[in-house]
Amino acid sequence: MPWRELFTTRLRGGHPTCGAGGRRLPTGTLRSEPAGTSTLNPLDLLADRQLVVVTGKGGVGKTTIAAVLGRALALAGRRVTVLECDPRESLYQMLGVAPSGGERVEAGPRLAFRNLKPRAELDAVVRDRLPLEFLTRRVLASPVYQHFADAAPGMKELAIIGHAYRLVGAASGRGPADCVVLDAPATGHGLSLLAAPALVAQAVGAGPIGKMAEELRGWAGDPGRCAVVVVTQAEDMPVAEALELGEALRRRGGGDALLVANGLYPPLPTDTEPADPWLALWIAERTGNERELARLAAGWSGPRVALPLLALERGPVLVEALRRRFEGGGEPWT
Amino acid sequence: MDLSRESPRLVVVVGSGGVGKTTLAAALGVASAAAGVPTLVMTFDPARRLKDTLGIGAISGDREVPVAVERGELAASLLDARATFDRLVERYAPDPASRDRILRNRFYDELAGNLAGVLEYMAVERLFEVAAGGRYGRVVLDTPPTRQAIDFLEAPRRIVGFLDSGALRIALKPWFDEAGRLRPAQRFGALGRRAERFLDEVVGLGLLRDMAEFFQAFAPLYDGFRQRAREVETLLRAPETEFLLVAGPGEERVPDTLFFARRLLEAGMRLRAVIVNRLHPAPEESRRAELRNADPRDGRALVRWQGERDRRGVEQLRALLAELALIEVPALLSPPQSAAELGDLGARLAVDLRSTRAPVDRPRAR
Repeated sequence: MPWRELFTTRLRGGHPTCGAGGRRLPTGTLRSEPAGTSTLNPLDLLADRQLVVVTGKGGVGKTTIAAVLGRALALAGRRVTVLECDPRESLYQMLGVAPSGGERVEAGPRLAFRNLKPRAELDAVVRDRLPLEFLTRRVLASPVYQHFADAAPGMKELAIIGHAYRLVGAASGRGPADCVVLDAPATGHGLSLLAAPALVAQAVGAGPIGKMAEELRGWAGDPGRCAVVVVTQAEDMPVAEALELGEALRRRGGGDALLVANGLYPPLPTDTEPADPWLALWIAERTGNERELARLAAGWSGPRVALPLLALERGPVLVEALRRRFEGGGEPWT
Repeated sequence: MDLSRESPRLVVVVGSGGVGKTTLAAALGVASAAAGVPTLVMTFDPARRLKDTLGIGAISGDREVPVAVERGELAASLLDARATFDRLVERYAPDPASRDRILRNRFYDELAGNLAGVLEYMAVERLFEVAAGGRYGRVVLDTPPTRQAIDFLEAPRRIVGFLDSGALRIALKPWFDEAGRLRPAQRFGALGRRAERFLDEVVGLGLLRDMAEFFQAFAPLYDGFRQRAREVETLLRAPETEFLLVAGPGEERVPDTLFFARRLLEAGMRLRAVIVNRLHPAPEESRRAELRNADPRDGRALVRWQGERDRRGVEQLRALLAELALIEVPALLSPPQSAAELGDLGARLAVDLRSTRAPVDRPRAR
């Protein structure tokens, strides 16, 4: 009964050790110089974290980056589980495996992924707490529970974070994963995901759920254990949203988030060539990219990495290419 | 769709987030005004530039503001779910005391911002307020940037299901009396009490009390609210309402687009056309072979690769959508900076829309 530990065990201090069989990561702290301007491997910024929350506006490549980070951390020797919350699965394509359907799927050495159904997670709490099938059915069928599960703010999000908490064995010191990469819902919801433990702790107060929420709040809010990665594209709307999100994260406390600017067009050639529609669009896109990169450089106080647009279909080949570039520190920022 | 005609009076622009829906809705609004129909564009969360172009923002709140256009009459408004919800409560609350009870309730506070579908529902709700005002011949409604986008259609039903929950009120009774005080459980015997105790633990009594209070306070509003939600449902399926589905370019988005188109049709919505936005220019046929693994430093080759990907996407969509019109909108070198530039985009759209068939004349998709 995996959930039971959430109700009965107190959170222990200390970080878990890296899994055996791979290279050991140095313990990184989030630094504020842009990763792209140094030889620093940005992966070091996420070393030893138990939870890496990948968030950002829809359509910016969040799932791709979650897959990149999952692969990279697994290659670095950690046992990684990537969790996807979107009911329409796409992570499996990026990892080159079969869809999860809510089950755990092995995606390579030390790497697994799972599509989470938040409601099912919440139901699991009920099953775990009520050993009698009769009672369980009664509670699950009760309209109060139904409406509560649908409407009570923060409960589903709490269940998602709780799942990650259990996977890494944050309370017991030993779980099936060293690190969970969480492909969070698009920004607004991504933030409510991180805010959920505090919200529930406050709303519910005492009692097992309140205690659990309190533990999860301490865990998810500890920058030594949980990191946030904000994915964006160097375009007006996604950048505005990324900056807002960065601001909200700073207010929340819990360390600087790592910014990944995705899908950059390459720098323009110095000589002017005869214009054709393709060159014209390249110029337009790159010019926009540079303007937005400058805006991010001015407005983002934490570390940041830029990744290029590549002529590759969505899938494991793209993920691998991006992983190598990510570990190399990404593209120059200007 | 001929924008100079009276119908459609409501154009709902739907699609996933980040596909340029809001810009196209605004462009369509300018074109509609230019065609002689006083038009209102209702939008969520537009980009800074577009906000500036339309002259909406923090100062205007969710009021309608006139937009300076060359021809015709255009207004724009920004949708604010919370403000609309508050107004609704004010309208349907029987007296100031019950209004304040709801507005101050902590559960309402969370609900108004967090319940899935509230934003979508409020969009339609606000639309109703405007339609009732009768000042505009046409409303172009941009929809919230949901990943699934389909949420929008299910919102009225879901909200009503939630608020109209006699079930919930009854279910909450064992815990609370009319005054919202906790009452001892008596109804279910020992086993039942155990289940109840568990629910108490899970929900937390504070939150449960807030919920009970909220639903009691909301009770006088149910009828008005339910009635309105039914009207909203009817409006979405009305003969004078038409839907435009905006899709991103590229092969990998085809399944999403198809899924959404099918859902709209199945739900009985009158889908006029699918607009594939921001298409990269297709490469010359002689170059197609060399596109794979293009040099990542060669931006021109990258754009050609995107163009090829987009071309294949459109080809697949055309084959799959059969009778449904598909409109191609190329990627612009810069987003429209002024009402005039929005108008240019809108005028091109209007030309393409004119040749599309009305949903009723089209054989129903299987």
